[in-house]
Amino acid sequence: MNIERFGMDTITLAGPLEAKLRAVRDGGFTQIMLSARDVVGHPDGEQAAIDLVRKSGLRVTGFQVLRDFEGLSGDLHAYKIDIAKSMLAMCSALGARVLLCCSTTSAHATDDRDRFVADLQKLAMLAVPLRIDIAFEALSWGRFVSDVASAWDLVDRANRHNLGLAIDSYHMLAAGTPVDALDDIDPRKVLFVQLADFMWQSTPTPDERRETARHFRVFPGEGVHGAQIAALMRKLDELGYDGDYSFEVFNDDYVQLPLATVTARARQSVQWLLRQVPHRSLPFRRHRAA
Amino acid sequence: MSRPLPSVQEHNPEPSNPLGLDGIEFVEYATSQPLALANVLQMMGFAPIARHRSREVTLFRQGPMNIIVNAHPEALTGMTAPGARPALSAIALRVRDADAAFHRALDLGAWAMPTRASAMELNIPGIHGVGGSLIYFVDRYKDFSIYDVDFVALPDAVRAPPALAGMHWFGVVQSVYAERSGDWTDFYRELLGFTPLPGGQYFGILPKGTLLASPDRNFYLQLIEQPSGSDDIDWDERLLRVGIGAPDVEAATRLLKERGVVFVDRDPVQPSAKGALTQVYFGSVTFELVKSDVVAAPPE
Repeated sequence: MNIERFGMDTITLAGPLEAKLRAVRDGGFTQIMLSARDVVGHPDGEQAAIDLVRKSGLRVTGFQVLRDFEGLSGDLHAYKIDIAKSMLAMCSALGARVLLCCSTTSAHATDDRDRFVADLQKLAMLAVPLRIDIAFEALSWGRFVSDVASAWDLVDRANRHNLGLAIDSYHMLAAGTPVDALDDIDPRKVLFVQLADFMWQSTPTPDERRETARHFRVFPGEGVHGAQIAALMRKLDELGYDGDYSFEVFNDDYVQLPLATVTARARQSVQWLLRQVPHRSLPFRRHRAA
Repeated sequence: MSRPLPSVQEHNPEPSNPLGLDGIEFVEYATSQPLALANVLQMMGFAPIARHRSREVTLFRQGPMNIIVNAHPEALTGMTAPGARPALSAIALRVRDADAAFHRALDLGAWAMPTRASAMELNIPGIHGVGGSLIYFVDRYKDFSIYDVDFVALPDAVRAPPALAGMHWFGVVQSVYAERSGDWTDFYRELLGFTPLPGGQYFGILPKGTLLASPDRNFYLQLIEQPSGSDDIDWDERLLRVGIGAPDVEAATRLLKERGVVFVDRDPVQPSAKGALTQVYFGSVTFELVKSDVVAAPPE
């Protein structure tokens, strides 16, 4: 394992897209996870943002985030399909091969697992002609799907080649999911892994999980769950996961610090993470989405 | 009290041919150089029989096979105008109910094709396929044909020119990026009812990739992945070529050679009783002959 497998998430950094791309590259990273806001919020328009990304030389780990997608019906479902199509079109224009879809928090969603499966199948189908994989992630405050096992159950049942899981260490820690839960998952269906820790021991309520997730994440090695994150890294390594890791560190302090300061912390985190997994001489295999 | 939403499990199981798919109605090439392509099609035994009433679109026919050459220069919404290099741009599938097939596909996650992107003015519904190609659904092929509406017969043209050497559609070959055969297998299985054949079951002289059988068992789709270790070659996902079935490939090859068709004559695609591959015309158009005894019924 080496730094090539780690990328930064634009959410972790302040400033305009140009500055984020430059900081990530100057920080020694070769890939970046993009948010739709980076693209549509660019003052010179969406195409200018797409051109910047294409010229940056950075590989796009993935594109986020499609929210509250599954379990809707009627007009709401049709509306979300339109949103999904627009997200997929942007994802494709950016050269991103993975779209992140988070488990629903919507009060309008039905608790019908079969409907969830059918909706994920439909999303995956929409993504096929655009050469995009769908990574489904359990938000720890998701209304019906809030842990890795539930997300995997849907992905497994949907059984689509371009549908897999996104694993976020924050959500696993916040939901109290043990790393052994990954034993039941096909590691080939893990499309990427987002990494973050936080500074207190537990987040017992969904509201606390959401608040912590959006304001108080820190880099792995900086928080209080280092042992669990190290165990997660070793588990993924044991399972043969050979895909990307991205630092998704929402933190109110980091977005008011110089970008180089934050990317330096990210570099320290990479070094810390590399010390947690046994060194192996296996050649790095490129993920199919690369 | 609102009625609970139907769940997937409450749906009745679908038949194995949910669309009533019944073969290929036509394949379409887009090109800005239609006369050059016409010459090659005529060498292959296709005869021009009709011309579109208002667009630069020509219908070629040979036995049960229809080919539309679309040279309409207008770039339609979401589409690019035909380029000089001919591209296999659409497959039209015969189905029981075109509108039902179209809406079923949309419900399952297909993208509707841009409005009026079709070479035809008649409203033929269609969805996006691979690359910039389209998949049309056609249900008027028994009592009267779609060509009766849009096309005018060419003077002196034979309406139903016979097939050379019993040739008929065998299938379409598509290129896919590495590790993407599963994605496209899902696409064709779920939207159209195709079934992947067990590994190792191939026809013709290019036994590779994934072979998908149409639900009516009338034709095949072959998915060819980018070879590993070939990142430097120019590869994209598109419809590569049509496969034409012939009961006696060697006789068909001989006949076509006499008409000027050039076949690749070196290994591994040496013409044989199993199949043959023509040279590539205009950098993009090639035809594969495949041993096949099935002869579809000629158009009425």
